Amino acid sequence: MDNNNAIPTHPATLAALAIFTAVSLGLGVVANLVSSKKAGFLQKYFLGNRSLGAFAVALTAAVMSGGTFLGFPSFVYQYGWVVGLWIASYMVAPLTVLGVLGKRIGHLSRRTGAITLPDLFRERFGSPLLGLLTSLFIIFFLSCFLVAQFKAGGVLMKIVLPSSTYDWANVENFAVTLDKGYVIGLLIFTTTVVAYTAYGGFLAAIWTDVFQSIIMAIGVLIMLPLAISKAGGLEMATLKGMEIAGDGFGFGPGAGRAFHPLTMSISFFVMWAISGMGQPSTMVRLMAFRDTRTLRYSMLYLTVYNMLVYIPLILIFVCSRSIMPGLTNSDEVMPRMVVTLANPYLAGLILAAPYGAVLSTVSGFLLIISSGLVRDVYQRFIRPAATEREIARASYAATVVVGLVVGIFALKPPDFLQLIVVFASGGMASVFLMPALLGAFWRRANAQGALAAMLTGAAVTMALYVYGSILGHQEVDQMIGAKPSSNGFGAYYLLGFEPVIWGLLSSFIAGVIGSLVTPPPDPARVSLLFDAQPPSAPAPATLDLHPELESDIA
Amino acid sequence: MSQPHHTDPLLRNSRREAIIIGLTWLAATTYCCAYSYFFGYIREGQQLTKADLNMIFGVPSWVVWGYLVPWVVCAVFTFWFAGWYVVDDDLGYDHTAELESDIREGGVGG
Repeated sequence: MDNNNAIPTHPATLAALAIFTAVSLGLGVVANLVSSKKAGFLQKYFLGNRSLGAFAVALTAAVMSGGTFLGFPSFVYQYGWVVGLWIASYMVAPLTVLGVLGKRIGHLSRRTGAITLPDLFRERFGSPLLGLLTSLFIIFFLSCFLVAQFKAGGVLMKIVLPSSTYDWANVENFAVTLDKGYVIGLLIFTTTVVAYTAYGGFLAAIWTDVFQSIIMAIGVLIMLPLAISKAGGLEMATLKGMEIAGDGFGFGPGAGRAFHPLTMSISFFVMWAISGMGQPSTMVRLMAFRDTRTLRYSMLYLTVYNMLVYIPLILIFVCSRSIMPGLTNSDEVMPRMVVTLANPYLAGLILAAPYGAVLSTVSGFLLIISSGLVRDVYQRFIRPAATEREIARASYAATVVVGLVVGIFALKPPDFLQLIVVFASGGMASVFLMPALLGAFWRRANAQGALAAMLTGAAVTMALYVYGSILGHQEVDQMIGAKPSSNGFGAYYLLGFEPVIWGLLSSFIAGVIGSLVTPPPDPARVSLLFDAQPPSAPAPATLDLHPELESDIA
Repeated sequence: MSQPHHTDPLLRNSRREAIIIGLTWLAATTYCCAYSYFFGYIREGQQLTKADLNMIFGVPSWVVWGYLVPWVVCAVFTFWFAGWYVVDDDLGYDHTAELESDIREGGVGG
């Protein structure tokens, strides 16, 4: 942050953020109180009793995080209209993210009784190893992602905190040099998110997500006419942007830069619309929706929401270049535009939304990691006979411990966070999407094929990052708008495509070949999951324990 | 299994719907990337400047035809697809409690 030119804040901004934080904590308490006592603790805590409505599914699948309100506006400010193409696959994302796997994941998770992604893979393929490996990959990739989100939360809180609130703090005694404002911001953020997530579980995460999504949509729609008016119209904004940044502001690739060449345009149609299907957070929501009618309506709502938020965001931040031409740190364009355009009370409300986006992203991810630890490690491998009470305690403890550990790592986060976010998203898609797709639609897909798909996807993605880091191709990272990292961390863009393309392709090939060259899966298990079954048909796990029940299968 | 499969209707419907969605994604990707590249990208043999900008309501025309209009078309398609085409299927009986008791019965790693 440029301290010489700090963002002017107003007490109202801080008040809005305080109210937002209080509401989030309140939602955690209410979520805990209203959760049905009928369902088992794990299903209630980690899956909200599979009761999500269309509005909740749509808004929580809107894939918003801190990056939506900080990184994306910064891109538009720097590179202009071509950033619209960068995000344009959101036009089909409601269909792909919810429609391709939605029904089958919802069906398979009920059929198997799965409440986590490792549960689902383990039961679909009949492989404990696959379940454990899924947990480990989730913990690895989501932890990378969480450090970036915690940093965003700490930075946002620092922006609105008056310096008097942290001047008293003495952090000079730490072994490393720390930014006081950031540390206090991070502390407040970590405490809030861990408290309401641990207490309220899945429903608290969902409700906060819905709350912040509504606030953000309102904020964006209010800012749109203000920004266009201040810039003197869109045409004026475009021409002035081209004068300042170069002809690339009005065309692609980005203004005289490497940003978003054709290969990256194609890559990002895969990155958002296809790899979005393979994110554990998406798949958990697909296990939690109420019925297929809910799924259909959520596609409609998400379509409307994406148009109402993302297209106006492009227009607003194209205007921002002419309104604030000399911004030294473009990551601050969003809060600066809000403070410039809106009155303090409205600014406070709008600034609270990105904070809420980070909060809700973090709470969802925390639960995915803690559910993996409790269900797929503690219950499966340590204490299968654990009582409800023990499981509840373990769940609360896992959520708190994971949150605190990530918070500690975020005290001194690496400086190449955007690359880490892209790496983690692409990595998760390369690891989880093909096993999910093949497992959902192909009878012949077996555990060996799923393992091959998972390991190959991970290996190819990591190899491209390791190779890129060794070669030191950081300048190429400008193609995705990432700032070069100081220690050489970066991807290798084979033939100019993002690593996720190669990860997905290799994972698919390995999954198909791995399944075909090994014995076919157990026909009884496949029949249970692919054929119409009577209500008395057992779950696959029951069939493993009691093979004599095979006669109940259609 | 040697007997003919009685494939679950949900699987048949979702497989068909997934294929249509895949084709829609492919069409959107191909059109948007190709149109934007040919009409909105500075490249060898096509040096675009301010003079080449055609504006529609203040927005460069390649933006309007390259991704804004396709966005609206996709939205209309999604309304038809999700509103009328996608079949409401039964997600079946929820075996969560059964799996829970299987885990207890199966012991460590079970």
